[in-house]
Amino acid sequence: MSPITMQDYTEFIDEVLVSETVLQQRVAELGEQISRDYAGEELLVVCVLRGGIIFAADLIRQINVPHELDCMALSSYGVGNYESSGNVRVNLDLEVNIEGRNVLLVEDIVDSGRTLAQVLEMLGTRGPKSLKVCVLLDKKERREVAVACDYVGFDVPDKYIFGYGIDIDEHFRHLPFIGCADLSKYRKPELA
Amino acid sequence: MKNYKDFMSEILIDEKTLKNRIRDLGQQISRDYAGQELLLICILRGGVVFMVDLMRQITVPHSMDCMAVSSYGDGARSSSGNVRLTLDLQTNIEGKHVLLVEDIIDSGRTLSHVLQMLRTRHPKSLKVCVLLDKLERREVDVPVDYRGFDIADKFVFGYGLDLDELYRNLPFVAVVDMKRYPGKG
Repeated sequence: MSPITMQDYTEFIDEVLVSETVLQQRVAELGEQISRDYAGEELLVVCVLRGGIIFAADLIRQINVPHELDCMALSSYGVGNYESSGNVRVNLDLEVNIEGRNVLLVEDIVDSGRTLAQVLEMLGTRGPKSLKVCVLLDKKERREVAVACDYVGFDVPDKYIFGYGIDIDEHFRHLPFIGCADLSKYRKPELA
Repeated sequence: MKNYKDFMSEILIDEKTLKNRIRDLGQQISRDYAGQELLLICILRGGVVFMVDLMRQITVPHSMDCMAVSSYGDGARSSSGNVRLTLDLQTNIEGKHVLLVEDIIDSGRTLSHVLQMLRTRHPKSLKVCVLLDKLERREVDVPVDYRGFDIADKFVFGYGLDLDELYRNLPFVAVVDMKRYPGKG
Protein backbone atom coordinates (compact mmCIF):
# COMPACT_ATOMS: atom_id res chain seq x y z
CA MET A 1 0.00 0.00 0.00
CA SER A 2 0.91 3.63 -0.24
CA PRO A 3 -0.54 4.86 3.02
CA ILE A 4 -0.61 8.58 3.51
CA THR A 5 2.55 9.64 5.22
CA MET A 6 2.33 13.29 4.37
CA GLN A 7 0.90 15.73 6.86
CA ASP A 8 -2.00 17.95 5.97
CA TYR A 9 -0.61 21.40 5.23
CA THR A 10 -2.99 23.00 7.72
CA GLU A 11 -0.90 21.40 10.47
CA PHE A 12 2.24 23.35 9.62
CA ILE A 13 1.21 26.39 7.62
CA ASP A 14 2.33 29.61 9.26
CA GLU A 15 0.49 31.98 6.96
CA VAL A 16 -0.86 32.34 3.46
CA LEU A 17 1.71 34.63 1.90
CA VAL A 18 -0.08 35.19 -1.42
CA SER A 19 -3.76 34.25 -1.73
CA GLU A 20 -5.29 32.65 -4.81
CA THR A 21 -7.10 35.85 -5.81
CA VAL A 22 -3.99 38.00 -5.49
CA LEU A 23 -1.93 35.42 -7.38
CA GLN A 24 -4.37 35.13 -10.28
CA GLN A 25 -4.68 38.90 -10.52
CA ARG A 26 -0.91 39.35 -10.60
CA VAL A 27 -0.46 36.60 -13.19
CA ALA A 28 -3.02 38.38 -15.36
CA GLU A 29 -1.16 41.68 -14.95
CA LEU A 30 2.14 40.05 -15.88
CA GLY A 31 0.50 38.52 -18.95
CA GLU A 32 -0.82 41.93 -20.01
CA GLN A 33 2.54 43.58 -19.47
CA ILE A 34 4.35 40.87 -21.44
CA SER A 35 1.77 41.09 -24.24
CA ARG A 36 2.32 44.87 -24.45
CA ASP A 37 6.10 44.58 -24.39
CA TYR A 38 6.18 41.97 -27.15
CA ALA A 39 3.39 43.48 -29.26
CA GLY A 40 4.04 42.70 -32.93
CA GLU A 41 6.66 40.08 -32.03
CA GLU A 42 6.62 36.34 -31.57
CA LEU A 43 7.76 34.84 -28.33
CA LEU A 44 9.11 31.56 -27.01
CA VAL A 45 8.12 30.88 -23.41
CA VAL A 46 10.53 28.52 -21.65
CA CYS A 47 9.21 26.76 -18.58
CA VAL A 48 11.78 25.52 -16.11
CA LEU A 49 10.53 22.20 -14.74
CA ARG A 50 9.04 21.25 -12.42
CA GLY A 51 8.43 24.23 -10.14
CA GLY A 52 7.58 26.64 -12.94
CA ILE A 53 4.95 24.49 -14.56
CA ILE A 54 1.80 25.87 -12.95
CA PHE A 55 2.93 29.46 -13.22
CA ALA A 56 3.92 29.01 -16.89
CA ALA A 57 0.67 27.25 -17.80
CA ASP A 58 -1.39 30.01 -16.16
CA LEU A 59 0.80 32.81 -17.50
CA ILE A 60 0.59 31.73 -21.17
CA ARG A 61 -3.17 31.85 -20.95
CA GLN A 62 -2.82 35.56 -20.14
CA ILE A 63 -0.40 36.30 -22.98
CA ASN A 64 -2.08 37.31 -26.20
CA VAL A 65 0.90 37.68 -28.53
CA PRO A 66 1.72 34.56 -30.58
CA HIS A 67 3.98 32.30 -28.59
CA GLU A 68 5.37 28.81 -28.33
CA LEU A 69 6.00 26.88 -25.13
CA ASP A 70 9.06 24.78 -24.48
CA CYS A 71 10.41 23.12 -21.34
CA MET A 72 13.79 22.60 -19.72
CA ALA A 73 14.70 20.31 -16.84
CA LEU A 74 17.80 21.04 -14.79
CA SER A 75 19.72 19.44 -11.98
CA SER A 76 23.04 19.99 -10.32
CA TYR A 77 26.36 18.24 -10.60
CA GLY A 78 26.81 19.04 -6.92
CA VAL A 79 25.19 17.45 -3.91
CA GLY A 80 21.80 18.49 -2.67
CA ASN A 81 19.74 21.43 -3.81
CA TYR A 82 20.81 22.68 -7.22
CA GLU A 83 20.26 26.31 -6.28
CA SER A 84 23.11 26.26 -3.86
CA SER A 85 25.78 24.31 -5.67
CA GLY A 86 28.02 24.49 -8.71
CA ASN A 87 27.35 23.81 -12.36
CA VAL A 88 23.96 23.09 -13.78
CA ARG A 89 23.22 19.92 -15.66
CA VAL A 90 20.58 20.03 -18.38
CA ASN A 91 18.39 16.94 -18.13
CA LEU A 92 15.98 18.08 -20.79
CA ASP A 93 17.11 20.62 -23.32
CA LEU A 94 14.83 22.78 -25.47
CA GLU A 95 13.28 21.25 -28.56
CA VAL A 96 13.28 24.67 -30.19
CA ASN A 97 16.36 26.32 -31.64
CA ILE A 98 16.29 29.76 -30.00
CA GLU A 99 18.62 31.48 -32.45
CA GLY A 100 17.03 34.75 -33.49
CA ARG A 101 14.02 34.21 -31.22
CA ASN A 102 12.57 36.28 -28.40
CA VAL A 103 12.93 34.05 -25.36
CA LEU A 104 11.19 34.48 -22.03
CA LEU A 105 12.38 32.16 -19.28
CA VAL A 106 9.68 31.43 -16.69
CA GLU A 107 10.70 30.37 -13.20
CA ASP A 108 8.75 29.87 -10.01
CA ILE A 109 11.31 31.36 -7.65
CA VAL A 110 14.76 32.92 -7.64
CA ASP A 111 16.90 32.88 -4.55
CA SER A 112 20.68 32.73 -4.89
CA GLY A 113 20.33 33.31 -8.62
CA ARG A 114 23.13 30.87 -9.40
CA THR A 115 21.10 28.42 -11.45
CA LEU A 116 19.31 31.15 -13.30
CA ALA A 117 22.55 32.99 -14.08
CA GLN A 118 24.06 29.82 -15.52
CA VAL A 119 21.03 28.97 -17.60
CA LEU A 120 20.91 32.49 -18.98
CA GLU A 121 24.58 32.35 -19.84
CA MET A 122 24.12 29.04 -21.62
CA LEU A 123 21.04 30.18 -23.54
CA GLY A 124 22.82 33.42 -24.42
CA THR A 125 25.46 31.46 -26.33
CA ARG A 126 22.77 30.30 -28.75
CA GLY A 127 22.16 33.77 -30.14
CA PRO A 128 18.56 34.54 -29.19
CA LYS A 129 17.19 37.85 -30.44
CA SER A 130 16.27 38.70 -26.86
CA LEU A 131 16.37 36.84 -23.56
CA LYS A 132 14.29 37.91 -20.59
CA VAL A 133 13.24 36.42 -17.30
CA CYS A 134 9.83 36.24 -15.66
CA VAL A 135 9.85 35.00 -12.10
CA LEU A 136 6.84 34.59 -9.86
CA LEU A 137 8.64 34.94 -6.53
CA ASP A 138 11.85 36.80 -5.86
CA LYS A 139 13.73 36.08 -2.62
CA LYS A 140 16.02 39.07 -2.94
CA GLU A 141 17.60 38.59 0.50
CA ARG A 142 19.14 35.36 -0.68
CA ARG A 143 20.75 36.71 -3.84
CA GLU A 144 24.40 35.77 -4.33
CA VAL A 145 24.71 36.43 -8.06
CA ALA A 146 23.29 39.42 -9.87
CA VAL A 147 20.58 38.39 -12.33
CA ALA A 148 18.20 40.71 -14.08
CA CYS A 149 14.57 39.67 -13.53
CA ASP A 150 12.53 41.55 -16.10
CA TYR A 151 9.15 40.52 -14.73
CA VAL A 152 8.63 39.77 -11.05
CA GLY A 153 5.37 38.59 -9.55
CA PHE A 154 6.13 39.20 -5.88
CA ASP A 155 9.10 39.97 -3.69
CA VAL A 156 9.07 37.45 -0.85
CA PRO A 157 10.97 37.24 2.43
CA ASP A 158 13.46 34.46 3.10
CA LYS A 159 10.93 31.97 4.44
CA TYR A 160 10.14 28.36 3.66
CA ILE A 161 7.38 28.58 1.11
CA PHE A 162 5.18 26.12 -0.75
CA GLY A 163 2.20 25.87 -3.08
CA TYR A 164 1.42 26.97 -6.64
CA GLY A 165 4.10 24.76 -8.17
CA ILE A 166 6.54 24.89 -5.26
CA ASP A 167 6.88 21.67 -3.33
CA ILE A 168 7.84 20.52 0.12
CA ASP A 169 9.27 17.02 -0.24
CA GLU A 170 7.43 16.76 -3.59
CA HIS A 171 4.02 17.58 -2.15
CA PHE A 172 1.71 20.61 -2.11
CA ARG A 173 2.53 21.89 -5.59
CA HIS A 174 -1.16 21.86 -6.42
CA LEU A 175 -2.24 24.36 -3.77
CA PRO A 176 -3.68 27.45 -5.45
CA PHE A 177 -1.92 29.86 -3.02
CA ILE A 178 1.58 30.44 -1.68
CA GLY A 179 2.00 29.47 1.95
CA CYS A 180 4.83 29.79 4.50
CA ALA A 181 5.69 26.66 6.45
CA ASP A 182 6.47 26.62 10.16
CA LEU A 183 9.24 24.04 10.02
CA SER A 184 9.00 23.29 13.73
CA LYS A 185 5.56 21.83 13.03
CA TYR A 186 6.50 20.00 9.85
CA ARG A 187 7.36 16.28 9.88
CA LYS A 188 9.14 14.74 6.96
CA PRO A 189 7.14 11.92 5.39
CA GLU A 190 8.40 8.47 6.26
CA LEU A 191 10.41 6.96 3.51
CA ALA A 192 8.62 3.97 2.03
CA MET B 1 1.03 34.55 -37.79
CA LYS B 2 -2.64 34.43 -38.62
CA ASN B 3 -5.38 34.95 -36.13
CA TYR B 4 -6.79 31.53 -35.26
CA LYS B 5 -10.27 32.80 -36.02
CA ASP B 6 -9.31 32.83 -39.71
CA PHE B 7 -8.97 29.06 -39.85
CA MET B 8 -10.97 27.77 -36.89
CA SER B 9 -14.07 25.91 -38.01
CA GLU B 10 -15.63 25.55 -34.57
CA ILE B 11 -15.01 25.57 -30.85
CA LEU B 12 -15.32 21.90 -29.94
CA ILE B 13 -15.19 22.31 -26.16
CA ASP B 14 -15.58 25.71 -24.60
CA GLU B 15 -13.78 26.99 -21.52
CA LYS B 16 -16.65 26.45 -19.12
CA THR B 17 -17.32 22.88 -20.25
CA LEU B 18 -13.61 22.07 -19.96
CA LYS B 19 -13.44 23.51 -16.48
CA ASN B 20 -16.51 21.62 -15.26
CA ARG B 21 -15.31 18.34 -16.71
CA ILE B 22 -11.86 18.73 -15.17
CA ARG B 23 -13.42 19.47 -11.81
CA ASP B 24 -15.50 16.27 -12.16
CA LEU B 25 -12.42 14.25 -13.12
CA GLY B 26 -10.54 15.66 -10.14
CA GLN B 27 -13.37 14.70 -7.80
CA GLN B 28 -13.61 11.21 -9.26
CA ILE B 29 -9.85 10.67 -8.95
CA SER B 30 -9.91 12.00 -5.38
CA ARG B 31 -12.66 9.54 -4.47
CA ASP B 32 -10.96 6.60 -6.18
CA TYR B 33 -7.64 7.22 -4.43
CA ALA B 34 -9.10 8.23 -1.06
CA GLY B 35 -6.68 7.31 1.70
CA GLN B 36 -3.83 6.77 -0.78
CA GLU B 37 -1.01 8.83 -2.12
CA LEU B 38 -0.75 9.41 -5.81
CA LEU B 39 1.93 10.31 -8.34
CA LEU B 40 0.75 12.21 -11.40
CA ILE B 41 2.89 11.94 -14.49
CA CYS B 42 2.62 14.66 -17.07
CA ILE B 43 3.68 13.90 -20.62
CA LEU B 44 5.31 16.99 -22.07
CA ARG B 45 4.43 19.31 -23.67
CA GLY B 46 0.79 18.80 -24.66
CA GLY B 47 -0.31 17.57 -21.25
CA VAL B 48 0.99 20.53 -19.27
CA VAL B 49 -2.07 22.77 -19.28
CA PHE B 50 -4.47 19.91 -18.54
CA MET B 51 -2.29 18.56 -15.77
CA VAL B 52 -1.84 21.80 -13.87
CA ASP B 53 -5.58 22.40 -13.93
CA LEU B 54 -6.39 18.80 -13.02
CA MET B 55 -3.98 18.63 -10.08
CA ARG B 56 -5.58 21.67 -8.51
CA GLN B 57 -8.85 19.70 -8.42
CA ILE B 58 -7.35 16.64 -6.75
CA THR B 59 -7.66 16.63 -3.00
CA VAL B 60 -5.73 13.47 -2.08
CA PRO B 61 -2.01 13.97 -1.33
CA HIS B 62 -0.08 13.76 -4.55
CA SER B 63 3.18 14.61 -6.18
CA MET B 64 3.86 15.16 -9.85
CA ASP B 65 6.61 14.35 -12.27
CA CYS B 66 7.22 14.92 -15.97
CA MET B 67 8.27 12.75 -18.89
CA ALA B 68 9.23 13.72 -22.40
CA VAL B 69 9.13 11.19 -25.20
CA SER B 70 9.92 11.24 -28.88
CA SER B 71 10.01 8.69 -31.64
CA TYR B 72 12.87 6.84 -33.25
CA GLY B 73 10.99 7.03 -36.53
CA ASP B 74 10.35 10.17 -38.48
CA GLY B 75 7.14 12.11 -38.39
CA ALA B 76 4.59 12.16 -35.62
CA ARG B 77 5.51 10.12 -32.60
CA SER B 78 2.17 8.36 -32.62
CA SER B 79 2.70 6.88 -36.06
CA SER B 80 5.94 4.99 -35.61
CA GLY B 81 7.43 2.22 -33.55
CA ASN B 82 9.41 2.50 -30.38
CA VAL B 83 9.36 5.45 -28.08
CA ARG B 84 12.50 7.27 -27.07
CA LEU B 85 12.54 8.68 -23.58
CA THR B 86 14.06 12.16 -23.73
CA LEU B 87 13.25 13.02 -20.12
CA ASP B 88 12.77 10.21 -17.64
CA LEU B 89 11.04 10.51 -14.28
CA GLN B 90 12.93 11.83 -11.29
CA THR B 91 10.76 9.68 -9.08
CA ASN B 92 11.16 5.95 -8.55
CA ILE B 93 7.63 4.68 -9.10
CA GLU B 94 8.11 1.29 -7.48
CA GLY B 95 5.23 0.61 -5.11
CA LYS B 96 3.48 3.88 -5.96
CA HIS B 97 0.04 4.61 -7.34
CA VAL B 98 0.74 6.23 -10.69
CA LEU B 99 -1.66 8.18 -12.86
CA LEU B 100 -0.42 9.09 -16.32
CA VAL B 101 -1.93 12.34 -17.62
CA GLU B 102 -2.15 12.93 -21.37
CA ASP B 103 -3.79 15.60 -23.49
CA ILE B 104 -4.96 13.33 -26.30
CA ILE B 105 -4.89 9.72 -27.47
CA ASP B 106 -5.27 8.72 -31.06
CA SER B 107 -3.51 5.56 -32.29
CA GLY B 108 -2.54 4.70 -28.72
CA ARG B 109 0.90 3.49 -29.80
CA THR B 110 2.94 5.97 -27.79
CA LEU B 111 0.83 5.54 -24.71
CA SER B 112 0.96 1.78 -24.98
CA HIS B 113 4.76 1.83 -25.15
CA VAL B 114 5.04 4.20 -22.22
CA LEU B 115 2.71 2.06 -20.10
CA GLN B 116 4.64 -1.09 -20.93
CA MET B 117 7.87 0.57 -19.94
CA LEU B 118 6.48 1.98 -16.70
CA ARG B 119 5.05 -1.42 -15.72
CA THR B 120 8.53 -2.90 -15.72
CA ARG B 121 9.24 -0.61 -12.76
CA HIS B 122 6.54 -2.23 -10.60
CA PRO B 123 4.23 0.59 -9.61
CA LYS B 124 1.54 -0.33 -7.11
CA SER B 125 -1.01 0.69 -9.72
CA LEU B 126 -0.88 2.39 -13.09
CA LYS B 127 -3.81 4.25 -14.58
CA VAL B 128 -4.39 6.66 -17.42
CA CYS B 129 -6.24 9.97 -17.48
CA VAL B 130 -6.71 11.55 -20.88
CA LEU B 131 -8.50 14.76 -21.73
CA LEU B 132 -9.40 13.94 -25.34
CA ASP B 133 -9.93 10.49 -26.80
CA LYS B 134 -10.02 10.04 -30.57
CA LEU B 135 -11.39 6.52 -30.46
CA GLU B 136 -11.79 6.28 -34.24
CA ARG B 137 -8.05 6.45 -34.63
CA ARG B 138 -7.18 3.68 -32.20
CA GLU B 139 -4.75 1.06 -33.52
CA VAL B 140 -3.59 -0.42 -30.23
CA ASP B 141 -5.76 -1.31 -27.30
CA VAL B 142 -4.97 0.86 -24.29
CA PRO B 143 -6.95 1.09 -21.09
CA VAL B 144 -8.20 4.61 -20.44
CA ASP B 145 -9.37 4.92 -16.84
CA TYR B 146 -10.40 8.57 -16.86
CA ARG B 147 -11.52 10.30 -20.01
CA GLY B 148 -12.47 13.94 -20.41
CA PHE B 149 -14.18 13.83 -23.79
CA ASP B 150 -14.60 11.49 -26.74
CA ILE B 151 -13.91 13.48 -29.86
CA ALA B 152 -14.22 12.93 -33.59
CA ASP B 153 -11.20 12.46 -35.83
CA LYS B 154 -10.64 16.14 -36.53
CA PHE B 155 -7.56 18.31 -36.26
CA VAL B 156 -7.86 19.98 -32.88
CA PHE B 157 -5.87 22.68 -31.10
CA GLY B 158 -5.90 24.79 -27.95
CA TYR B 159 -5.76 23.99 -24.24
CA GLY B 160 -2.24 22.57 -24.42
CA LEU B 161 -2.53 21.18 -27.94
CA ASP B 162 -0.51 23.05 -30.49
CA LEU B 163 -0.84 23.82 -34.14
CA ASP B 164 2.73 24.09 -35.40
CA GLU B 165 3.73 24.91 -31.81
CA LEU B 166 1.30 27.80 -31.41
CA TYR B 167 -2.07 28.24 -29.68
CA ARG B 168 -1.41 26.00 -26.69
CA ASN B 169 -2.57 28.90 -24.52
CA LEU B 170 -6.14 29.07 -25.83
CA PRO B 171 -8.59 28.26 -23.03
CA PHE B 172 -10.78 26.07 -25.26
CA VAL B 173 -10.36 23.15 -27.68
CA ALA B 174 -11.07 24.09 -31.28
CA VAL B 175 -11.13 22.43 -34.68
CA VAL B 176 -8.97 23.57 -37.60
CA ASP B 177 -10.42 23.98 -41.05
CA MET B 178 -7.35 22.74 -42.92
CA LYS B 179 -8.47 24.35 -46.19
CA ARG B 180 -8.11 27.74 -44.56
CA TYR B 181 -5.03 26.99 -42.45
CA PRO B 182 -1.98 28.56 -44.09
CA GLY B 183 0.63 26.63 -42.16
CA LYS B 184 3.22 28.19 -39.95
CA GLY B 185 4.60 31.66 -40.56
